[in-house]
Amino acid sequence: MTLPETIPLLGFGWDDLLFMILAGVMLGAALLVVTMKDIIRCGLAMIVSFAALAGLYVLAGATVVAAAQVLVYIGAISVLILFAIMLTQTKAGPSSLVFQTQAFPAAIAAAILALLIAIVIAATDWGDTAKRIVTPVRDLARSLFTDFILPFEIVSVLLLSAVIGGVFLAKRERGGND
Amino acid sequence: MLGALDGLSRSLDAYLVLAGVLFAIGSFGFLARRNAISMLMSIELMVNAVNLAIIAFGAFDPRLNPNASVIALIVMASAAAEATVGLAIVIAIYRNRKTPLVDEYDAMRQ
Repeated sequence: MTLPETIPLLGFGWDDLLFMILAGVMLGAALLVVTMKDIIRCGLAMIVSFAALAGLYVLAGATVVAAAQVLVYIGAISVLILFAIMLTQTKAGPSSLVFQTQAFPAAIAAAILALLIAIVIAATDWGDTAKRIVTPVRDLARSLFTDFILPFEIVSVLLLSAVIGGVFLAKRERGGND
Repeated sequence: MLGALDGLSRSLDAYLVLAGVLFAIGSFGFLARRNAISMLMSIELMVNAVNLAIIAFGAFDPRLNPNASVIALIVMASAAAEATVGLAIVIAIYRNRKTPLVDEYDAMRQ
């Protein structure tokens, strides 16, 4: 038994349904990240948002980037942020006031920004973009290790210096009072 | 009625609008939250929105195809470095000021 081309009754394809589900989960989780009161829950919602985004990368044909998204964002950055949350939240610290006083103007500005971006995207002619391309891993590897070899090496040095800088910044001063 | 939704996952515009909305949500969080770590999380959302736009261009424009994925991977590595240093700075400030709330970091204003 094979699936029909389009979903019965709804009239659009299966990958469109998948796109809508992933986009809805991603945007909903992102909204929870910026609005929820409990910051630990914000961090967990951020993981959900990143996971849905990895699904969108697969849908766009970038499978290697989706795998890197899961490894780097969900596996490393989210865990780092959760540890930092646990290190910096005191019982007295997180007050009931989550937002700055400028939250309402910020919301208006963000809505206008989203609207502007949408208008510009709709008004621009992107040329022939009818076909969705799946990125072959072999092409990606060839591009990464020939055309982009210098950025690749610079990024490795950048990561090393970021690790050393992070350790230096976060370590306690010797002879400090705490 | 729902036929207008057909082909949504095969249109560049849908991905780009999605990236734009995600970027706007991140910028709202960065402007509005009081907690320094919440602001860093909002920055991560914005970086992800940019990455989604890069991947979308690579998926629909054959001239950009393998390069877009490479650029997205490099952006990801830079975001990891940024998160490391940013969180280290937040922890260092927290050790001195005993608060993660950015509106109480007012030592340079006095």
